[in-house]
Amino acid sequence: MTHVAWRLVRRALLNLWRAPVPSLLAVVTITLALFLGGALAFTVLGARALLVSWGAQPAVTAYLDRALSEEQARGVADRVRSAEPGAEVVFVSPAQALDRLRVQLGDLGGTLDGLSRNPLPATVEVSPRGAGDLRALAARVSQVAGVADVDYGREWVDRLEALGNALRGFGTGSLALVGLAALLVVANTIRLAVYARRDEIEIMKLVGATDRYVRAPFLLEGALQGLCGAALAAAGLLAVQRLLLPRAAAAFAFASGAQAPHLSAQHCALLAAAGALVGLCGSYLAVARFLRT
Amino acid sequence: MIQLFHVTKRWSDDPPVLDDVTLRVEKGEFVWLTGPSGAGKTTLLRLLFCADEPTSGQVIVGGRNVNRLSAGGVPFLRRNIGVVFQDFKLLPNRTALENVGFALEVMGASDAKIRERAHKRLAQVGLADKVGSLPLRMSGGEQQRVAIARALVNEPAILLADEPTGNLDASLTDSILQLLFDANARGATVVVATHDRALLGRYQRRTIQLHHGKVTSDA
Repeated sequence: MTHVAWRLVRRALLNLWRAPVPSLLAVVTITLALFLGGALAFTVLGARALLVSWGAQPAVTAYLDRALSEEQARGVADRVRSAEPGAEVVFVSPAQALDRLRVQLGDLGGTLDGLSRNPLPATVEVSPRGAGDLRALAARVSQVAGVADVDYGREWVDRLEALGNALRGFGTGSLALVGLAALLVVANTIRLAVYARRDEIEIMKLVGATDRYVRAPFLLEGALQGLCGAALAAAGLLAVQRLLLPRAAAAFAFASGAQAPHLSAQHCALLAAAGALVGLCGSYLAVARFLRT
Repeated sequence: MIQLFHVTKRWSDDPPVLDDVTLRVEKGEFVWLTGPSGAGKTTLLRLLFCADEPTSGQVIVGGRNVNRLSAGGVPFLRRNIGVVFQDFKLLPNRTALENVGFALEVMGASDAKIRERAHKRLAQVGLADKVGSLPLRMSGGEQQRVAIARALVNEPAILLADEPTGNLDASLTDSILQLLFDANARGATVVVATHDRALLGRYQRRTIQLHHGKVTSDA
């Protein structure tokens, strides 16, 4: 049976070679579909990462009185810690706060060197270990002597969560829509190629070819076209990532404190699998119509 | 080898193309199927190689009732039937050798066996020097002979030919028919559809006459 398999592979390659225009059309269609799908997926992933990083910030931040010395400020943090045994309490000195900002600013961190004095106050970050009433926690922390102000952007966190959920739904829906549209377009493009070879299919069937035998080279061609499309889409995404996104990535890192999502080997494998699958399904749908008639 | 019992074929509400046809062709027989254009000759042949299904009645080919044949079983029935089409049905982008070998290819034969048998059949039909030619560069008679070589290459038990000499001159007609007689002499059951009455007079064999889809004579 290996000679039959080899013959089918040879036939698929020969067909691609003999009819390059329809094949090229299918490859371009798959490339565009995967590129758009990939770009959309990266946009959604990036936005989600941004939201998660924002949402992961401390729940309650207490800004301490600037008049307090560092020792006094640490004392305030101790008082908060003993008053709130169910919460994680972290003291951040003005110097530590400035260092954090410097890291977040990345290349722009050098601009902080021009400051004559550190403008940041000492803070105490209070994160409840379980689910808790942030409003009540913030109210209690604000009562501790030495605390000048309390910030717990609960509404902001709620909005971020709602936005994250909406983004996930939108991303899933859009990807499904792009995938379906790609499949239909690819199936129709491949159908054109199959249509051009309807006589061959008819004759194959008349001389006793099984449906599986007729279908096999077309499926192989579809898979090959899908893989070529995936390779081109990956190259396109890499080009965009390397040439156009460095500035956006720096802004992303500044905003989220995390790296922007990058195209990895796993992503490339996923694209290749998606391309082959789209090509296979497109070919299957296209040939099925001719096998029925 | 071939049996039809009260077979009727009609397309929607049109008059039947075949109307209550009952006939039997024995193994090794050579049969002319004749009648004017539109008599139902091609439709009858198409029922035999499962290109169409009868509206009613039973069609039995090689001991198998084609009405009860599953879709997966049709290719295996067709491998025992060689068909010569009126319009040849050759692939224009394949050489004569590849066209003939095509019938063996789908059966999973090895490349060496395909080459050997396709060469042999093309030599038998007098085209040993045309193995590498594309159909469009061959005459009508040569194309017809390639089609016959393809129909015979896997030595089918049944050979069906639809107007195999339709567009050929007299000398080519004789050489083409000789190929069909040779196949019959080797044991194949042969059914040839033709509307050429001169042929029937020249080569007297059993003749089934169709008219408006009915068998009007069988002698």
